[in-house]
Amino acid sequence: MFSQAIINGILFGAVYVCIGIGFSLAWGVMNIINLAHGSFIMLGAYVTYSLFTHLRIDPFLTTPISMFVLYFIGYASQKYLLNYVIRSSIFITLTFTFGLQILISNIALLIWTADYKSVAPSYAGEGLVIGDWVIPYIRLGIFIIALILTGLFYLLIVKTKTGKAITATALNLEGARTVGVDVAEIYARTMGISAALGGAAGALITPIMTITPFIGGPLVGKAFVVAILGGLGSTMGALVGGMVLGLAEQIGSLLLPSAYQEAIGFIVLVLVLVFRPQGIVGKQFY
Amino acid sequence: MNKEPILTGQHVSKYFGALRAVDNVDVEVYAGEILGIIGPNGAGKTTLLSMINGTLPITKGKIFFRGQEISGMRPYRIAELGISRTFQIVKPFPGMTALENVTLGALFGRNRERDMSRAMERAAETLKRVRIEGKEYVLVEKLNVSERKRLELARALTQNPDLLLLDEVMAGLNTREIEDIMALIQEVNRAGTTLMVIEHVMKAIMGISSRIVVLHHGQKIAEGTPAEISENRQVISAYLGEKYSRGMQET
Amino acid sequence: MVTLNRKVYTTLFIAAFLACAVFPYIASGFWIRLVTLIFLSAILAQGLNIIAGFTGYAAFGNMIFFGMGGYTVGVLMTKVQVSFLPSLFVSGIVGIVTGILLGMLLLRLKGHYFALASLGAAEAMRQILDNLTGLTGGAMGLTLPQMAGKPAQVNTNFYYIMFSLLVLSFAATYWMSRRRLGYALKAIKANEESADVMGINTTLYKIVAWSIGGLYTALAGGIYAYWFTFIEPATMFDVVVVVKLFVILLLGGSGTVMGPLYGAFIFEGISEIVWSRFLHLHLGILGILIILIIFFIPNGLIDTVRRGFSLKNIRDTIREQRV
Repeated sequence: MFSQAIINGILFGAVYVCIGIGFSLAWGVMNIINLAHGSFIMLGAYVTYSLFTHLRIDPFLTTPISMFVLYFIGYASQKYLLNYVIRSSIFITLTFTFGLQILISNIALLIWTADYKSVAPSYAGEGLVIGDWVIPYIRLGIFIIALILTGLFYLLIVKTKTGKAITATALNLEGARTVGVDVAEIYARTMGISAALGGAAGALITPIMTITPFIGGPLVGKAFVVAILGGLGSTMGALVGGMVLGLAEQIGSLLLPSAYQEAIGFIVLVLVLVFRPQGIVGKQFY
Repeated sequence: MNKEPILTGQHVSKYFGALRAVDNVDVEVYAGEILGIIGPNGAGKTTLLSMINGTLPITKGKIFFRGQEISGMRPYRIAELGISRTFQIVKPFPGMTALENVTLGALFGRNRERDMSRAMERAAETLKRVRIEGKEYVLVEKLNVSERKRLELARALTQNPDLLLLDEVMAGLNTREIEDIMALIQEVNRAGTTLMVIEHVMKAIMGISSRIVVLHHGQKIAEGTPAEISENRQVISAYLGEKYSRGMQET
Repeated sequence: MVTLNRKVYTTLFIAAFLACAVFPYIASGFWIRLVTLIFLSAILAQGLNIIAGFTGYAAFGNMIFFGMGGYTVGVLMTKVQVSFLPSLFVSGIVGIVTGILLGMLLLRLKGHYFALASLGAAEAMRQILDNLTGLTGGAMGLTLPQMAGKPAQVNTNFYYIMFSLLVLSFAATYWMSRRRLGYALKAIKANEESADVMGINTTLYKIVAWSIGGLYTALAGGIYAYWFTFIEPATMFDVVVVVKLFVILLLGGSGTVMGPLYGAFIFEGISEIVWSRFLHLHLGILGILIILIIFFIPNGLIDTVRRGFSLKNIRDTIREQRV
């Protein structure tokens, strides 16, 4: 029982890593808490849904496509909208991204309606059985892709010119500007990457969740916790944060009535914020 | 100068993990004097000041002000006891005018004004004292560096502190502005305020201090009159390196 | 530049006050209800204004007070058979105590952390009340007894009750803004560290601010519960309401005393028009509205009108906020 909970925790944690990594990037680099991140994930899910339903493409294979589409949506949102309000107060930027979230959700509502949609590939429900443990194929797939994405993201940040510019901008905005970094453009690319990662998360959750235009909200909540637990802007942090959240939830549901999950989550969150605001991993951009 | 110090720091230390930013420093400040604090960058000067005014909690040791232990008190309480400070990088209230900034200073603290108009009057007088005239209604964002430094000083002064802590108030000023502020500091001191001044501008700090304390790597390495300090080998070594001070011996 | 001189402003103010006082005698039930809702929004916005607009702490979870207040009245009236006014009184106390306890816990956090931690608190409370089915009816909601009297009279009664709370809370806010508390909050918002070293007990003032705002919000929640006679956790702790309140503050000007009222009138007015014409696009339009408002008039409509509507002003404002 317990060991299955740990396995589930890691597998579920992988989803949280995907959900949180883009969110943490935007927050760590631009100090934007992007409440619309959930909508990006939702759109990624719908892209996958459409491709699966109309073209019979396997959801995992649609991941790059979702990422591609969302990159442009994120890039455009930053370049033409968010960049113009980015230096105002917190409540303005939070409200703004919330407004964006509402807008995107309602556009999705118009296009796809509020009907529950789902994606069920042929191998749904099947899995590896090792002794007492069950590892569903879909969850395993998500886990592997999560690791690949995290690795690719890390390489992007560390090896590419854009990645280095992003890091520089995050660490010292004025300094980066002085050496010639086009901050507005870098911010736009950062949001593009953030949205792309969200899109990937969306693609990956389609086989395990029903999709509606309003799944974004709770997902942002999870992303927020992942970011806090792991520390902002840190790749390793998102990995750790997601896993910890997954494990905490699975093990927690064994020990405590699930009814109070959110209350407990809140208490844990506040404890972390008060006593270790830099997150478990500890590196902090912001 | 009185015999009893108004501020005493005993074994004052601040550790950040393994880093000893301030290590076992004893310091006394006597009423009416200007105590200069100098030392190379990273010596722990600002950290020491921040522990005195409560911004940073003290790791070890105790600080007494007028016999009362203030180590561990919150900054606002220490301000109410009569200690004011300025910051190295000024922290004015954005979006407000110079007068509004200083008026806020007059409304709080030990000598707070009950009445808004009296607070504004006192603020206006203080602005005159620091020679910001004609710019009372200008937003702080529009003031230049020298004016902002003097504004920060005004905000601290308007609370009539017994002990004023100045942290590199001359940083970023040109020669003329430095001379002006030196004169101002001396005026403030003559009017009865005791001062602890951190400075890098040697000529200035040597010129106005009655005594000087030198910090290096968090420790106090020398203490004395400006004349004594300027000839102290350890101090010279700390600033200019071993070789130079050895070289000086030969001259 | 549009400035009103003192006399004109006072006269308009008194006229508006009198107009509100006699409104139910000249308007139909629909309009009375609408204006009562506007008053409610204004009170909630003012409650948020004190902690967010004046003090700079964006309390995204401020609805926790609304829910606590509403459920206090609900539970007292249904389970303990207490009448409305004593229940309302208790809900006010609950608001203040919640503000103090939550404040002691969360006001040490800054910026985004505070905003979202407060939201977490509201969500946690929502879930707790969802699950205390015996006490609160859980997710299925709680039904309160109705006020005695003919519907039209009851409608008018609630108009005056809400109006009274509006006048009291706004007067209190005005009074506060002219005293040391108001200035301390402004200083804290401008630069908390400076405020601290200047002798302002920031922790105390922040907690007082949040508790005052919490008081208004809880009382409003209590009145709302008795008025609508049905409450459920999902609506009482709804975060979308807080976002709406932020927009109201943006429209009317945050950190000002009358801003919440102006903003509420404008917002609910627009809402009414949109609702009646574009029902199914309602939320989507809210989203667009938020984006447009923040883009073009982040300092509030009143401030923009005062500085004069010009392309130059808009361009300057954008320039200040862009990357």
